[in-house]
Amino acid sequence: MKENELVEILRGCAARKLPELDGLLGILRTTEGAAPYVFHHCEELAGLVLSPRYPLGGIVRVLQARYPKARLGVVVRACDLRGLVELAKRGQVAPDRLYLLAVACTPEEAQHCRCQRPVPNPTGWPQVEVLGSPAAAAEAHPLLVQNERLGLAERWAFWRQEFAKCIKCYGCRNICPECFCQACALEDPLWVERGILAPPFPTFHLVRAMHMASRCVGCRQCELSCPAHIPLTVLYELLRRDVAEMFGYQAGEDLSAQPPLSLSLTEETTPLPNP
Amino acid sequence: MGEPFEPRIVAFLCNWCSYTGADNAGIARMKSPPEVLPIRVMCSGRVSPEMILRCFRAGADGVLVLGCHIGDCHYISGNHRTAKRIPLVQRLLSYVGINPERLRLDWVSSAEAPKFVQITNEFVQTIRSLGPIRQELGLPRMGGGR
Repeated sequence: MKENELVEILRGCAARKLPELDGLLGILRTTEGAAPYVFHHCEELAGLVLSPRYPLGGIVRVLQARYPKARLGVVVRACDLRGLVELAKRGQVAPDRLYLLAVACTPEEAQHCRCQRPVPNPTGWPQVEVLGSPAAAAEAHPLLVQNERLGLAERWAFWRQEFAKCIKCYGCRNICPECFCQACALEDPLWVERGILAPPFPTFHLVRAMHMASRCVGCRQCELSCPAHIPLTVLYELLRRDVAEMFGYQAGEDLSAQPPLSLSLTEETTPLPNP
Repeated sequence: MGEPFEPRIVAFLCNWCSYTGADNAGIARMKSPPEVLPIRVMCSGRVSPEMILRCFRAGADGVLVLGCHIGDCHYISGNHRTAKRIPLVQRLLSYVGINPERLRLDWVSSAEAPKFVQITNEFVQTIRSLGPIRQELGLPRMGGGR
């Protein structure tokens, strides 16, 4: 399905649903550009668009904290939906007050993001409508295979050079839909050297990678927004595979499955819906 | 170069089992390796990835995490988290090219003083064979405590 057809269908659904909601969060295009916007009136929906993409999870979190009773609609992609699922598990958003219009990405978009799961999978989400036709998963990042083949010394040589490009803009953290801690370990001088560019030991990236284990939903926003083009999601994807292998857990797939790293060995991570 | 390699190893010991085990090894006058710097934590579950990474950043050649056996945790399931977390940290280290053998997790109860001595000796041997982390990763020399 073409993107403009999809936008028309989306606007139709939004217009039908908007009267029941207190607002619909989406992207508004104006003459000045595009930005996240809460739509209140059906007339405004002519400006509702699907691109550029922007992760709305963090905005949902802030809106829900500020308006605890509001019934909010959100236009989401598959990765946004996964992100909201993980936020809900950690008590950051309330699913029962969120109506999701989940749009399946087009094949071109899936290719652009190298998305492995471009089709919204609303397992367990109370109110969700899925629009668009499913696209095939894109090919995995070539670096994933390459990293497996390299020896330890070669891996270090590669990653050291990648991490040396980091300018510590914190863009990867700021754009991440899963980063919500008020006190961020990456800003704590105890764990991460501040004011040193390209520190000899890459604590910043390793700490962030550990925090992403069992949490990263693979939206690749961090990598796409990185001004230094560091292939961050390769590390996160490797850890995601490990978490799936060790604990049978897929971040963002099932609202009822609990994050395994915060459970004991005897508590169950509920089994995967699609193993 | 030319100096003999004296490994620096940080051992996080849980207050209730492994630290007591290490203490008992001392009381029984068993010889445990001087390369190991013990840090007492209330639970092995307290040992966050940040702490481990900071040890490596500060120049530790190896990090040892010792806790109560599964089922014996003073906090019921604190060490369950450790058992899940440390293997992931090891995998992450290996993905960026740091030898995962530089991080070891094991269980030592308060009655297992000989096991404490055996594990620390083994680990010192492992780290000796791996060589200095600074050399392996090409890190600059710096003073202790960073």
